Amino acid sequence: MSEVDPCDWCEEAIQPYLDRDLNETDVKKVKQHLAACSWCEKRFKFESGLRRLVRQAVVEPMDPALKAKLAALRLEL
Amino acid sequence: MSETSPEEARRIAQGARDRVHFEEEALALADQVYRVARGVSRSKEEAEDLMQETYARAFRSWESFTPGTNLRAWLLRILTNLNIDRGRRAQRTPDQQPLEEGDYFLYNRLEAASGESDEERILERLSQDHVAEALAAVPHDFRDVLVLVDIGEFSYAEAAQILDIPIGTVMSRLHRGRRILKQQLAELAVEAR
Repeated sequence: MSEVDPCDWCEEAIQPYLDRDLNETDVKKVKQHLAACSWCEKRFKFESGLRRLVRQAVVEPMDPALKAKLAALRLEL
Repeated sequence: MSETSPEEARRIAQGARDRVHFEEEALALADQVYRVARGVSRSKEEAEDLMQETYARAFRSWESFTPGTNLRAWLLRILTNLNIDRGRRAQRTPDQQPLEEGDYFLYNRLEAASGESDEERILERLSQDHVAEALAAVPHDFRDVLVLVDIGEFSYAEAAQILDIPIGTVMSRLHRGRRILKQQLAELAVEAR
């Protein structure tokens, strides 16, 4: 029987893990692997950091003038 | 002149209250909706137009919203549909070149190029500008999913509902979108040096 390499498995599981889309058993498995494997842990930290960068890439706040325009689109009473 | 019955008057007043309530809730979500609008648009101007069209349509069709369901998802469904209607799909189709590298490849490339071994230092090699530029280079179909999940923090099921595509398509586009993003980042942060 061929076993999947745990680091290969972890590499595939990290994105769904960050997406909160893994089942409980796999979440546990990821956590255990990361606690035991500094090679994957570094990469995991990098991936979470990259997520943060992506989230921040579009946080240029909405123009207050646009907010006023949107409110003006409300139907008249 | 016919008089309005008290019952009828109550019904009208209730309807007006419901509508105002809906409009206020929708406006309170505008900042969050804007983040997605900005993520799926090429420019600030395009995002602003899209927001106005979205809210105009939402306010017109408020009665089709089911109270108690997810209003943010409902608004984003309008937004993504309008965005598709704008014909931006006429843009180049996503290139079909294979993306075979694994998920860790960007880290591995940056590590090899920098000689660093600390993940914080490696991450510092990616600037905010790199990320914004790389995101803009991801083809729309993939970017929409990426923006909803990574920025909007929607689940796969919610993103599927908003975009009206099967959940399996959300997952495959997300997978491919992230690979494209990373390939772009590798080009910007490694090859350009």
